[in-house]
Formats: sequence, structure tokens, C-alpha cells
Amino acid sequence: MSGPATGRSLGLLVCLECRATVRAAAASHSRCPRCRAALHARKPYSLLITTLLIIAAAILYVPANLLPVMDSRTLIDDEYDTILSGVLVLLRSGSWPIALLVFFASIVVPLLKILALAVLVYSAWAHSPARRAQRSQLFRMVEFIGRWSMLDIYAISLLATLVQVQSFALVIVGWGAWAFGAVVVLTLLAARTFDERLLWDDPE
Amino acid sequence: MSPVILCPSCDLVHRGTKAPERGRTQCARCRGPLQRAEGAALDTAIALAACALVLLFLSNAYPLVEMHVNGSTRETTLIGAALGLYAQDYDSLAALVLLTTVIAPLLQITALLYLLLPLRRRRHAPGQQTVFRLLARVRRWSFTEVFLLGALAALVRLSTYTYLVIGISLWSCVLLMLCLSALASITSPEQIWRWIERTRA
Repeated sequence: MSGPATGRSLGLLVCLECRATVRAAAASHSRCPRCRAALHARKPYSLLITTLLIIAAAILYVPANLLPVMDSRTLIDDEYDTILSGVLVLLRSGSWPIALLVFFASIVVPLLKILALAVLVYSAWAHSPARRAQRSQLFRMVEFIGRWSMLDIYAISLLATLVQVQSFALVIVGWGAWAFGAVVVLTLLAARTFDERLLWDDPE
Repeated sequence: MSPVILCPSCDLVHRGTKAPERGRTQCARCRGPLQRAEGAALDTAIALAACALVLLFLSNAYPLVEMHVNGSTRETTLIGAALGLYAQDYDSLAALVLLTTVIAPLLQITALLYLLLPLRRRRHAPGQQTVFRLLARVRRWSFTEVFLLGALAALVRLSTYTYLVIGISLWSCVLLMLCLSALASITSPEQIWRWIERTRA
């Protein structure tokens, strides 16, 4: 090994839960002595599990955007809303900051997350030496913005709870919402199973 | 403790590092967060957690919003929003909403109080390690700030059709969000163990 000293080259492990530094030899039972969390030099099967999760998320992204997330029935009309048409409704009601927010959180963020994770997994698998710091940064961004995709799920759950006025207006949740929730959870899990240290590992 | 720490993001070894006086340090290689300054006193964390617990209770005891339409009134609480999905047979979505808005914050606050309160009397809570790991896991699923913006989006949509009254619970939710984010920044995992290890000495 010629590169900078890493935990792996010195036989040290870091506990990802409590940040304790542990000697790999002392951790033969593979539990952190401080908090008893499982210790791994790298998360096991990280690239494989992350890949499977992003494939599942990418597949569900299609129904999540095409199927209606809710069906709003009023006396006058019956309107099926997809995520995108929901954004347009917000835009028409004159609140463009909220419309922009929902558009980013529900449409742009999940797509960017899937693409970014795919790029990261591929480059980690290929041991690409280029732009490691930028890719690390990209991963941290993916981790940070991931939770904001839940925004629409919360909005739908509130609408579906409030708008239940007998024979006047009704909001019925659609399967698009289920698919969308699944996309969000799958991408959150995918970011969690990805071991960012793999971006920095040199081939053995 | 070993004087050597590893960057959790790129595995680089950092030697002889001490926690910074203020702010946070970055990894020299990947610029990931490395160490956080000792943010606040133990008592501050306990006070904030107790405050968050009260606010979480308020958010569930009173309506977030009331809707007046055709002479009838509909209202919902924080838990009610999740149960609305359950009523429409979307059990898994309801569980997801319940987990991220009620259960995760509740577990996060109670686990923190369980770990920190005994430290004031120089004792350690039984099952400390297990509770710490539960806390580390559950705090990643606590999405109060996202819920608030989602609620805002829903209210904007509804306000064009009906007359809405904002309940006190929406305000307590805002305060809860502020409390939880302050709490998250002063009770980093390293900080919790700093408090615990100081008690051991």
C-alpha cells in the first residue's frame, strides 16, 4: 500500500454508530466494545444490496408518477391527480413557492437520487480514481435530501383525512401514492446500505 | 480511548485529534464531517428533550387544523393524519407516516431521556448500549420537518376550496421541529458517549 494511511491499511475499524475506533483484531467477535453495534470493515454486500434497491426504486418510479396518487370527488367533478397534476393544481392556486417545493421534493429528488446512486455504485465498483471528493460530496447530498421526498405522502395523508365530507367532497388515496411511498423508502434504504468508503478504496 | 480516529466517510486515519473548540472539523481528504465541538451541557440536552416530549404530546392531543365546510367541521391531529390512510386500507403507507411522524420522534426523545437522566446522578441506565443503538437507528426516521412542509402544501391546496382554522397543534409541531433539530445537533453520538464516559471516570 502506498496511499495515505487508512483504517483498513492499519487494521483499525470505526464503529458507524458511536464513532469509536477499534482494533480489527480485538473486534474478532465483530461487536463494538463501546456500544455493541455490529462492526464491519465495509458494509457487507453493500454494492449488491444498493444496486438491487435502486433497481426496485427505478421500476416503481414509473407507476409512482403515472398512477393517480389521489382521486378528489366533489359534487361537481371527479378529478384524478398524479403527482405532477398535483403540482399544477398548486401552481394554479397561485402558490408557486409551494408548487416548486413539491415539484422538487417529489419528482426531481427521487429521480436524481436514483441516478446519483447508480453513478456512485458504478464508480465504486469500477474503483474509479477520478473526482473522489466530488463523489463523496454527491453522496452526502443524496443522504441529506432523501427524506424530503416524503413531503407529498404527508400532504396526501392530511388531505385524505380531512376531506371526508359526506356527499360533498371526498379524497380517495390512489395506488400511485403507495408506489411513491415505496420509491421513497427504497431510495432511503439504498443510501443507507451504500458504503461511501468504497469510493475511496484502491483495488487490492 | 485510542488517540487515532477514522473518517467514517473515507476511512482516512487522523492522528492526535482533539474535539474542536467550536463548530466541526472536516476530514482532510473527503471533506466529510469528522468531529463536532462539545455543543452544550447535559442539562441543556435534558431540558430540550423534556420540552420536545411535551410538544409531541400537545401535537397529538389537539387538532392540527380544522376544516369548516357546509356547516360541518372536520379536524385532525398528528396521529389522525396517519390513521386517515389506515381507514382507506393503505396500511403500509399509514405505518410509514405513523413511524416517521409519531413513533420515531417519541422513541428518539424517550431513549435520549432514558440515557441522559441517570447521568445527572452519576449512574448508568441499564441496557445503555441497546438503548443507544435503538436511538441511533430510530433518529434517522424522524421526519417532523418534512411533515410540516407537507402539511403546508396540503393546507394551501385546501384553502382554495374551504375555510380553514389552524389549530394550536400546528404551532406546537413547528416548535417540536425546532426542538428536535436543536437536540439532534447537540446530542451527536460522539457527544452522548462523551457524557457517558465522563460519568464512568
